[in-house]
Amino acid sequence: MASSDWLDIRGWTESIVGWSMDLVYDILPSNDIGLGPLGTLNIQNEFGSIQGALETFIFTTIMCTVVFGTMMITLMVVPYIERKFIARLMDRLGATTTLRSLWIGEGHTTAGQWWNQLPFGIGAIVGWVVKTLNSVAGNESKHIAVDRVHNRGYHGIWFLFPGFFQALADFLKFATKEHIVPAKADRVVFETAPVIIIATTVMVYAFVPFGPHIWAANPELSLVFMMAVFGVAPLGVFFAGWSSNNKYTLIGGMRSAAQLTAYEIPLLVSVLAIAVISGSFNILEIVDFQIETSNTWNIFIMPLGAALFLITMIAEVERIPFDMPEAEAELVEGWWTEYGGIRWGLMFAVEMMRAYAACILFALFFLGGWQLPFEDTLVGLPFVGGIFEMLATATPGVAILLAKAYLMFAFFVWIRASLHRIRTDQILEFGWRWLLPASIVNLAVAILLRLEVWNSTAAGGWPIWAAPVLFGAFIVAFIVLAIDEDEEALELNRRMYHTQTLEKASPGTHRD
Amino acid sequence: MAEMWISMGPQHPMTHGLWTLKIKVDGETVVDTEPDLGYIHRGVEKICEARDFTQITTYCDRLCYASANTWSHSYIYAAEDLLGVEVPERAEYIRLIAVEIQRIASHLMWLGAYGPDIGNLSIMVWCLREREMMMDLLQELGGSRMHYNFPRVGGVKRDLPHGFAQRARAKLKLFLNRIQEYESLFDESTVFLVRSQGVGYAKPEEMINHGVSGPNIRAAGVDYDVRWAHPYSVYSELDWQPSVERSSIKGADCYDRYRIRVEEMRMSASMVLQAIDKIPGGAETYHEPGDPKILAKAPSRAPEGATGSHHFEDSRGESMFYLAGGGEGRGKMPYRVSIRSPMFITIPYAAKCMIGYKVADIPAIMGSFDPCIGETDR
Repeated sequence: MASSDWLDIRGWTESIVGWSMDLVYDILPSNDIGLGPLGTLNIQNEFGSIQGALETFIFTTIMCTVVFGTMMITLMVVPYIERKFIARLMDRLGATTTLRSLWIGEGHTTAGQWWNQLPFGIGAIVGWVVKTLNSVAGNESKHIAVDRVHNRGYHGIWFLFPGFFQALADFLKFATKEHIVPAKADRVVFETAPVIIIATTVMVYAFVPFGPHIWAANPELSLVFMMAVFGVAPLGVFFAGWSSNNKYTLIGGMRSAAQLTAYEIPLLVSVLAIAVISGSFNILEIVDFQIETSNTWNIFIMPLGAALFLITMIAEVERIPFDMPEAEAELVEGWWTEYGGIRWGLMFAVEMMRAYAACILFALFFLGGWQLPFEDTLVGLPFVGGIFEMLATATPGVAILLAKAYLMFAFFVWIRASLHRIRTDQILEFGWRWLLPASIVNLAVAILLRLEVWNSTAAGGWPIWAAPVLFGAFIVAFIVLAIDEDEEALELNRRMYHTQTLEKASPGTHRD
Repeated sequence: MAEMWISMGPQHPMTHGLWTLKIKVDGETVVDTEPDLGYIHRGVEKICEARDFTQITTYCDRLCYASANTWSHSYIYAAEDLLGVEVPERAEYIRLIAVEIQRIASHLMWLGAYGPDIGNLSIMVWCLREREMMMDLLQELGGSRMHYNFPRVGGVKRDLPHGFAQRARAKLKLFLNRIQEYESLFDESTVFLVRSQGVGYAKPEEMINHGVSGPNIRAAGVDYDVRWAHPYSVYSELDWQPSVERSSIKGADCYDRYRIRVEEMRMSASMVLQAIDKIPGGAETYHEPGDPKILAKAPSRAPEGATGSHHFEDSRGESMFYLAGGGEGRGKMPYRVSIRSPMFITIPYAAKCMIGYKVADIPAIMGSFDPCIGETDR
């Protein structure tokens, strides 16, 4: 593997395991032990014959533990981001549809001056920037009474990020609760469904690399295997909804099954486009393609694919605006209404895990994985290039990858704060009429690019115009589509989203 | 999937209170509905028969937690009609200020609750933040934050406090700016439009037949506002007109009902600003409680056989109080109190509006009618 950094956990583990196995080999007795009629036994030789397999087993077990531990520890940041970021978006003044909301405050101050809570005064720069921005473009009001409402700054002793361990406390609370199965539930399926959901989600992480040397398994077709495993959980959701014997969970499970095909096929087609453009079904090779071979992140070559992947992934992990299966307004909590205790807690953690996996995958597929942004350009700069080179060498890949993943998750939260929940029939229409054609167009463009534009003999692979032209065209199209609002047409068609069904969906099948 | 009945409520996020909506679904489509009201019936009308005319005000405050002032004022006008009291003009202006600020607060509560109904929580936090400003203003007037007990038979409890005019102007101007932010979150979002447009059509003629009133009927293009059609208080002296949404051929949908309330908040804010400018004696003068400028002398006994009634434009529609005066030996207390609650009439009609739409549309439709169960069950 070409891309690498100094945090060589796989290499270290491998050498430690090999060294200790050799040690065991050395201290085992080397003489033959007579066993009478059974012949002789040489323990050292016997051990030597299984040493390779044993080393692989122990090494893989350790790597699985490392990856799982990395995932669980870094996962704690995800609910923290969700809570804190959405609180910032909500309690400030102004449209969440703009990032302006992060720094605008009341009367030239921002409500809870969170930068003061960072240790060692490292937030002073942020505070200065925010205050300056507020004085230039902040809201003009000076109402102390309003400040009082969203004055929820943290006034305790600063130890870690305030509220960071809330997730752990929540988990302990769930773990100590009673396990209740509804009396008329289908008990076997009811108990199996969480296992399906949780196990398949954890299995996804077997193929997700956290860094060039932090991964558990790397089969040749890891992308295909992982997407297949990723798609199993909605089936478990359907099981859970059906077996709970509750009308809300039934509708929730049905919604999950109904919307499955609408986003799963566009998702798989856009993943296929990634494989086409990178020339591999292997996740590590896709990242390597961006870092080493083409030197261009996939998002610049395939912006439409990135947008499609993002939208379908939000649908896949069932977050707003695509969280119809759990729609709390009409279905209370949808398919998991009847679950409680540790099963509910684990499934909630799994929701986070799936969103987290989606963010990591986006970073891997489109944002160059563990590469610093514009690393080669920055390193090539005169005078300051050395500093960036040092930075790139010193930063472990896992830190860069996680930073990108957390940023993507913040984007998910931003979407959640800005949008409403759409209806099941609307996601079906959106999926079949917009996402599927767009993903097929994206696949065709990817094939064309790979066949005609990609030049493996030239340095870098992509011609110099490819990234600016493709990315620029996407941005221009996005802006045109976003602002192209014909006021008159809007007035005439102001009820274009009309959906009323007066005839029954399936006449003649009812018992009424 | 065969048809089945689902019982939503009495504890359900859609209900905004305590009641049950039974829906019959065919897959995701609603084919029949049946509202079931009465879970928090407290017998306010009966309680009022054993209270004197001053004490009843506090009970009327508690008819609706989101819009207390409009209900106590609704009662007080009926009581003044019964007792034959002439209210000083300054007191009328103060009442108008209190009622219109309360209307803004009530509509903000509605908008804040409507966001979570269709999946957005941000708007709730924003609206409650601005409602806080309105609550602060009402607290300056009435002294408490939710149930103000502000009006008195013949006037108001207190005059505008010092500096109220300035604070009210500043807060309302800030609030008028904030409305644009709600619109940028709602109207400019296609997801909101697909959820609210073409959903929950309510035809104006049907609504008139059912007796639906207030913002819900004005959303369908019916130009009926009690403040405008039968002006009471000093509404005729202000420069305003009722907000009426342009009617479409199918009637009003959820989007219309959202628009009408946003427009009404704007209109109420401008009415308060005008009233502060026009108030006789000036907004900065302060009279002690009980001063004849703000509280007229009122008899405590009603003549036998007298009746009083008043139509009032509540935040949710036309409310009405009917009081029959004292009988033998009980002149201080009303013989009978009857309350017309707009939501008691609207909820059955709203339940009817849901037929033909999806299960996901139920909170969107029900929320857009702005139900308040406290006044419904009385």
